[in-house]
Amino acid sequence: MTEFGLIIETTNMNPYLNEHIQALVQPDRVHRDIYEDPALFDLEMERVFGRSWVFVGHESQVPKPGDFFCTRIGLQPVVMTRHSDGKIYVVYNRCAHRGVKVVNEECGNAGRLMCMYHGWTYDTNGDLDFVTQPEGYPDHEFDKVKHGMGRVAQWGSHHGFVFANLSSRAGGMKDWLGENADFLDDVAISAPAGEVEITGGVHRYLYHGNWKMQVENLIDMYHPAYSHESSSAKGGQQFTRRGGDKGGIQFFEKPGRVKSMDGLGTHALPNGHTWQGGLPPVENNSDDHREYVRLLEKKHGPEKTKDILIKKRHNVIFYPNMAMQELNPHIRVIRPLAVDRTEILIYPVKLKGAPEQMFRDQLINLNKTHSPTSLVQTDDVEAFARAQEGIQSSGNEWILLARKGPEERFNSGRIRTTGTSEEGMRNHHRAWLKYMCGET
Amino acid sequence: MSVSKPGSDDFLVLRLEVQDFLIFEVGLLDDRKFEEWTDLFTDDGYYWAPATPDQDDPQSSVSLFFDDVPMMRTRFARLRHPRVHSQIPPSRTSHMVSNVTIDGHDATEGEFLIGARFQMLEYRPGHEQRTFGGRYEYQLLRRAAGDFQISAKKAVVLNCDSVHLPIAIPF
Repeated sequence: MTEFGLIIETTNMNPYLNEHIQALVQPDRVHRDIYEDPALFDLEMERVFGRSWVFVGHESQVPKPGDFFCTRIGLQPVVMTRHSDGKIYVVYNRCAHRGVKVVNEECGNAGRLMCMYHGWTYDTNGDLDFVTQPEGYPDHEFDKVKHGMGRVAQWGSHHGFVFANLSSRAGGMKDWLGENADFLDDVAISAPAGEVEITGGVHRYLYHGNWKMQVENLIDMYHPAYSHESSSAKGGQQFTRRGGDKGGIQFFEKPGRVKSMDGLGTHALPNGHTWQGGLPPVENNSDDHREYVRLLEKKHGPEKTKDILIKKRHNVIFYPNMAMQELNPHIRVIRPLAVDRTEILIYPVKLKGAPEQMFRDQLINLNKTHSPTSLVQTDDVEAFARAQEGIQSSGNEWILLARKGPEERFNSGRIRTTGTSEEGMRNHHRAWLKYMCGET
Repeated sequence: MSVSKPGSDDFLVLRLEVQDFLIFEVGLLDDRKFEEWTDLFTDDGYYWAPATPDQDDPQSSVSLFFDDVPMMRTRFARLRHPRVHSQIPPSRTSHMVSNVTIDGHDATEGEFLIGARFQMLEYRPGHEQRTFGGRYEYQLLRRAAGDFQISAKKAVVLNCDSVHLPIAIPF
């Protein structure tokens, strides 16, 4: 009997079985293992980051032929290039010979990509250009694609935002984006020139916690008044986050009374994407804002401009590894390092054609909110580290995600509910389960 | 006062004055006298820690710190808040400043350009002690002997472009 029980238990504890993985995600709670089991992390890198579309970069980061930008898909180094044909390529950053990472600088420009180890050289589309001392391979026929660095299975872009998928069996990018494509349309149209650019450097910070904590935090309107109380001034209002704004987000109605953010709404989309908001409009009478409005009106007329100026969404998750915020536009890339280590990269998004001062204000506000020295993000990072520590406790093996409000379902599969609902978190765990159990 | 030749008595006195001031200035941070530290800056003064070693403009890309005086006051008011979670318990720091050089002087403005090297040890209980170091560049206004105001302080941290855990106290 004991022996039999032991066998069953061992089998159940095998995280590689779908039944076990499914048991970790329940309708209103998830098991702590998904945040702290290194075996599950390895599986996530293979199945979530290897099966879902993931954000790679923006075409404006490689404007000229020969430009390259290095990043990762999960733990795998990849390089996004603009080849001499003017097109974007996403290539594994690995020499076909001995596996050495070929491109070692984060970004730059090169005519060809040469491996440091034995000088094998590749075109900027990843094709093999030449092998050094080829006479040493008498029995080997080199094929420029087969012996190239290797291109990822699929990639595509929408308004210059480049996404890639390591799996050739996965569906198309547009299907994966769903209504998030409309958001990128909204971002692009909010630039007087109709397009955006990634420029102005990058904020990068580390936290000692699982990558999914950042996903959850971004669609959590329940936490700000508690986590970020120290960033609210007298009157219960946070500092402004946009140049010329008259005020920031209201955390407290009066001292000790938290203002509910339920009214802002949560929108859970298929494939794990979720967005919240938008934030209530804030008065802005600065000269730059007026000039910005004038430029938009000139192009789109007053009615359409009024609509463009309404920020319909706050943080928008592109599950699993990117989020974007429109109020003070920036991209956040979530880069898992280990089960309990995550790097975050924050890239400013410049609205092309808008007054230059707007972008300068945007950068200064990003220093406030997203630098490693920020007055906001640092408290989130503290929460992630304490969560990672807290879940080591065996006294309670579950993370409760039961908060909910009235739900409305749309034909697109989108669910709209209250701002402090944990539906966005349940939504991303449903997507996680779909990828982890191979139902992509 | 003009800058005399290096090696002259005037020059040595000035350099010692500046050095004493810098030791006093970074000591205020270690003593958590943040408001007094802020008061050393002119009304339009700023503190800047670039995000890359070659960043030449705080307004065209993001920075680790780019604080004008109102931002410093917001930052330090938060550090005084009883529920500033990321600083419970708070960080302790130990700043060292050396290799002070007088790099320039604008007689009409009374402004001195000062260079120095620094190291900052930082320890927050429960976390590993960290070491930051690099170069300081100051623009100082001299009001009287030994009495300076900071119109700009720039701290170029050696690993500013690395990925960092939260940083609360200026370099």
